[in-house]
Amino acid sequence: MIQLKNIEKVYRTATIETVALNKVNLDIEKGEFVSIMGPSGCGKSTLLNIIGLLDEPSKGQVEIDGKQTNGLSDAQLASFRNQTLGFIFQSFHLINDLPVLDNVELPLLYRNVSSAERRRLASEALEKVGLSNRMKHYPNQLSGGQKQRVAIARAIVGQPEIILADEPTGNLDSNMGNEIMDILLTLNQRDKATIVMVTHDENMAKRTHRLIRLFDGSQVS
Amino acid sequence: MIKHLFKLIWKRRKSNSLMMTEIFFSFLILFAVCSLGVYNFQNYMTPAGLETNNVWVAFINFNTANDTAKVQYKELVSQQLKQYPEVESFSYTSSNAPFTFSTMSNSVAYNKKKVSSDVITVEPDFPKAMSMTIAQGRWFTKADMAGNFVPVVITKHLAKDLFGTEDAVGKIFGDGEEAAKSKKMKVVGVVDYYKHKSDFQELDNSLFRPSEKWDDTMVLKVKPGSGAEVEAKIVRELARLGKDWTIEIQQMDGMKSNRNNLVLVPVIILLIICGFLVFNVALGMFGVLFQTINRRKQEIGVRRAMGATKGAILWHFIGETAVIATFGLILGLFFAVQFPLLNVFDIEASVYLIGMLLAVIFIYVLVGICAFYPSRQASVLQPAVVLHEE
Repeated sequence: MIQLKNIEKVYRTATIETVALNKVNLDIEKGEFVSIMGPSGCGKSTLLNIIGLLDEPSKGQVEIDGKQTNGLSDAQLASFRNQTLGFIFQSFHLINDLPVLDNVELPLLYRNVSSAERRRLASEALEKVGLSNRMKHYPNQLSGGQKQRVAIARAIVGQPEIILADEPTGNLDSNMGNEIMDILLTLNQRDKATIVMVTHDENMAKRTHRLIRLFDGSQVS
Repeated sequence: MIKHLFKLIWKRRKSNSLMMTEIFFSFLILFAVCSLGVYNFQNYMTPAGLETNNVWVAFINFNTANDTAKVQYKELVSQQLKQYPEVESFSYTSSNAPFTFSTMSNSVAYNKKKVSSDVITVEPDFPKAMSMTIAQGRWFTKADMAGNFVPVVITKHLAKDLFGTEDAVGKIFGDGEEAAKSKKMKVVGVVDYYKHKSDFQELDNSLFRPSEKWDDTMVLKVKPGSGAEVEAKIVRELARLGKDWTIEIQQMDGMKSNRNNLVLVPVIILLIICGFLVFNVALGMFGVLFQTINRRKQEIGVRRAMGATKGAILWHFIGETAVIATFGLILGLFFAVQFPLLNVFDIEASVYLIGMLLAVIFIYVLVGICAFYPSRQASVLQPAVVLHEE
């Protein structure tokens, strides 16, 4: 499903060259739930951004669902993100001025989907995460766990094959973290979604199919 | 997407209120300037109905209170002017000759309908001197003056005001103030246009009647190329006819230009003030948009992650600014629309409507220009970077 070949990411300034990722090779199968762990600054988020086509590798190739992504245009990349990928962020990144339902609809705004269809799909997604009673609430009226559930609903509303979660439980207490993890596991088991999750939490990582460890930009296990 | 933008801006209406207020006031100022511009332009495009090229105005003061002597002096001047080959035609007129600062108006009445009109007393050669053409009927002649009615020529505007759709030629009407006492007037001709105050004058009511004995202003049509030398010669030679006479000649082109400036100068001053205000508003908008985009970098990152292209981000922010402008414009239009509804300043509704349309277009263009660069900056933000900014 996801293939990374010799991925390198180097950040260069006039005086310093920082290697964020060094020859990372990764194969993630369809329906797999993979966690990525490592100390801060080891390149976890950079790797996730590259998989999510939000960043380009300095070297190497990214292949998703059999499609080579190097050299795709901005519009092609955007379409790919919109159709194939769903994102969940540590700090939720919800738009506070929009009600929950509108936040969940966001990915569908960039597709040719009618307003009624958007409503329907967003309602369904919210039902899946158990928030159908909070559709008209605004994000600042929700708890951290609820916000993350909204973010998950937003990630799955377009029925993407891959969900990328960047420390989805990082801002939550252990109970809420477990709730979110349960939802992700359900999505993986019931909907067969491929999930790549960056985490600092060993317990959460243990619940996934496979753990990838990074250290100083290199894959160590 | 439009609904999404409206929802976002409506929710953020408090933080966008400054920009909406700026747009509201800018629109009102632009509406005023555009309406004024349209009004003057429409008037300017209307034919003047007279020619000022090679037309001079002579202001003659015979310095006598004796009307009989005055009539003789006027005849003397006429005889003298006929001797100049450079003078093609001439006519005595009342002091409110075209483009002078003098006005003379009176009310006229027909079938209990009373309207006000400029009254100009002229000689039969006046249309020749002013290159005026008659649209209906004819100009009055000396023979008409012996009749029971005062022969008059009126403008189409007065004909419409007084007689509506009826044919004006042949109509007999009276003086509005003393209808019973003064001699009735009979329309012998109608002219389409007579713009005698400036090129920007609205068409109005004018009535030409035969010259009176005290009229000592004169319009002269001279041959092309007749310059200052001819003017000086005429003044010198006419002054020799009567020792107490004072004569001053002015070129009608110059007089018209002075009258035009009276309209143009305030418009230009208003335009400069308006330009300055709009420039300040544009700078303000530019700054606010940059600040807004800086504050919303993470939202931009999220939108990019969710599938927005660079172009979609660019148009999103231009669209948001256009929506803010729309809210400001709705408020502005509410006030602006009162002008045609209440017929303020007695100006045609179309002038206000075109003014509104131009102001709306100008605001959207201004907003588009101001929003483009900050929106473009937003569109090129790296989602991977902005999503991890604190």
